[in-house]
Amino acid sequence: MKLALKGAILAFVCATFAVQAQEKVIRVGVLMPISGPGSYFGVMGKEGIDLALEQLKGGVNGYRLQVQYEDSACSPLQATNAVKRVLDQFRPHIVIGEECSDASLAIAPILEQAKVPQLNAGSVTMKLTESGYKYVFRIFPNAAQQSLPLAKVAYDRLGARTAVILYEKTNAGNDNADGFEKPFVAMGGKVLAKIDFGRDVNDFTAIATRIASLGRVDVLPTFALEGQQVRLAQALAQAKVVRGGGGNAVQMGSIWLPYGFDQKAGQAAEGYVRIVQFDPNEKRKIVQDFIRAFRARYGADRVPTHINSHAYDTILLIAEAVRRGATDSESIRERFSGFKGVEVTTGKISFGPNGQNSDLSVIHFVETQKDLSWKGLDW
Amino acid sequence: MVALGLTLIYGVLNQINFAHADFVTVGAFTAFFTATRFATKVLGLPDTGAYLLSMFAALGAGALLGLAVNAAVFAPLRDRGDELRPLIATIGVSVLLENAQLALFGPIPYQFDSPFARETLRIGRIFFSAQSVLVVAVSAAAIAALYGFMRFTFLGKALRAVAQDRETAGLMGINPNLLIALTIVIASALAGMAGALLGPVLVLSPFAGASVIVKAFAIVIIGGFGNMQGTILAGILVGVIEAFTVQYLGSGLIDLVVFVMLLVMLALRPTGLIAERKEENV
Repeated sequence: MKLALKGAILAFVCATFAVQAQEKVIRVGVLMPISGPGSYFGVMGKEGIDLALEQLKGGVNGYRLQVQYEDSACSPLQATNAVKRVLDQFRPHIVIGEECSDASLAIAPILEQAKVPQLNAGSVTMKLTESGYKYVFRIFPNAAQQSLPLAKVAYDRLGARTAVILYEKTNAGNDNADGFEKPFVAMGGKVLAKIDFGRDVNDFTAIATRIASLGRVDVLPTFALEGQQVRLAQALAQAKVVRGGGGNAVQMGSIWLPYGFDQKAGQAAEGYVRIVQFDPNEKRKIVQDFIRAFRARYGADRVPTHINSHAYDTILLIAEAVRRGATDSESIRERFSGFKGVEVTTGKISFGPNGQNSDLSVIHFVETQKDLSWKGLDW
Repeated sequence: MVALGLTLIYGVLNQINFAHADFVTVGAFTAFFTATRFATKVLGLPDTGAYLLSMFAALGAGALLGLAVNAAVFAPLRDRGDELRPLIATIGVSVLLENAQLALFGPIPYQFDSPFARETLRIGRIFFSAQSVLVVAVSAAAIAALYGFMRFTFLGKALRAVAQDRETAGLMGINPNLLIALTIVIASALAGMAGALLGPVLVLSPFAGASVIVKAFAIVIIGGFGNMQGTILAGILVGVIEAFTVQYLGSGLIDLVVFVMLLVMLALRPTGLIAERKEENV
């Protein structure tokens, strides 16, 4: 009897291993800030990824996408440790992440050495795709792709001739600020001041007072995370610098700013002009299907942000690579390199030779109205 | 107010409380939910009344939390006579509180607006929000009340006696454990109240307190650890220096200037702006 039982257990174990050996899996490591001040990126990113995985639960081409999340905390040190751990223990075919530029830059050389593609959906620093990495792919528009249109719109459409650039003291903030300054000055504009600040700054009264003393300011391109942007917009409105406070200057923002900022900033956000990639008002079917599925899963009152949609898109892109025959890291890299006009919720993806998405066809500008809704600007 | 709580605990216990930032955050969240949910929706109070009530709720939440943490963590460790363990325990409490708040409230920043934050006061080209005036007024009142309590009440004198010499105070019939608990409760209540005042200024998330605590430590060191008057003076000094740094040097240099000042103080005057006089009988 005992022998029979042992035999049955052995048979079960062997069968289990056999099934596992036959199961085809694409392992996806996800590095996101799950702790620390940037952890809202991680929460929203996970929502997007989980939704995409749910929709793909039947697998793609016989492959199942297996995801492992690691907390990289928006920190270069923690991201480095996390990517080493995930490479060692999980052996991913591809890694999604990080959100913050400094952390993304830290993991890029490690993944390059391991020959594992890095799919980035949230960092803007130019260095990520301008350093010659062959395994880095980014769907998020880089600093130049965001700042150049901002500078053109500021100068040509808004008639701005003076600007004060506000930015956080990070690789992302620096690159965006430079990306605005150079073309704006080349067009004939004048940058009255470039004001940087750390991520721990909360009270912007002194900065707003300084801006108010600089004379006529036409535009205020701002590159910071949502929480600081809210406080900054309110301080600028109190100083009567921006339109939301009865002033003349137009505050301008980048794709960093998630949907919902306007409601948090209140009337201070009125007249805010910004560049967006994911717009829940967009009529494309893939966008509306995504919003419907998102609401069904996370609540009817939720509106997905660009962070949700970018994360969702990363899984769609990996699935598309597998659909086109990718089976491992190298073939995923090859399929990505051949992507031209692959439609996802944040637009169409065409990776250039440096791994940067070059298709900016869905990017447009919106202006915050008095009732805090968005008005699309046909620029 | 944040720095004052830190220096109060250090003055009496000779212990740094690394969890102090999280007491501030707890106060901010208590005020937020009291003002936006309980006071307006349940009690039907107007915005101003709701916010003022939320300040007292935050004060109470801070005091209760301080009482609970002292009874559950600090007091048992202190009884073992080891100074290092309570210090490490404050780090543990900090991590615990931060993660508990992360689990409860999530990481997405909340928008906490007080009716005072929406009002702007102007004097010529200078402007400030009514919230800033409220912060200064409430802080001044709290500091005055604390000063009066320490200086003129029996409990305050007993507290100072415990701070000077715990054993001798005990021999005089003072219960040091009770007074240490009182110190932690007062410091935590101050932190809670500070959270309510700073909630509409900070980016309210479970990490909100962390953004002010480093500066609070710098203020405490510049003022002189354990010295209340020095801490108040240093708080004003650091605030003024920060404002001038933003205006004339650039906001990116705030931390550099403040911490250079801290290092200079440590090198030239390690006792702080106002040195405590300590007499020893030989």
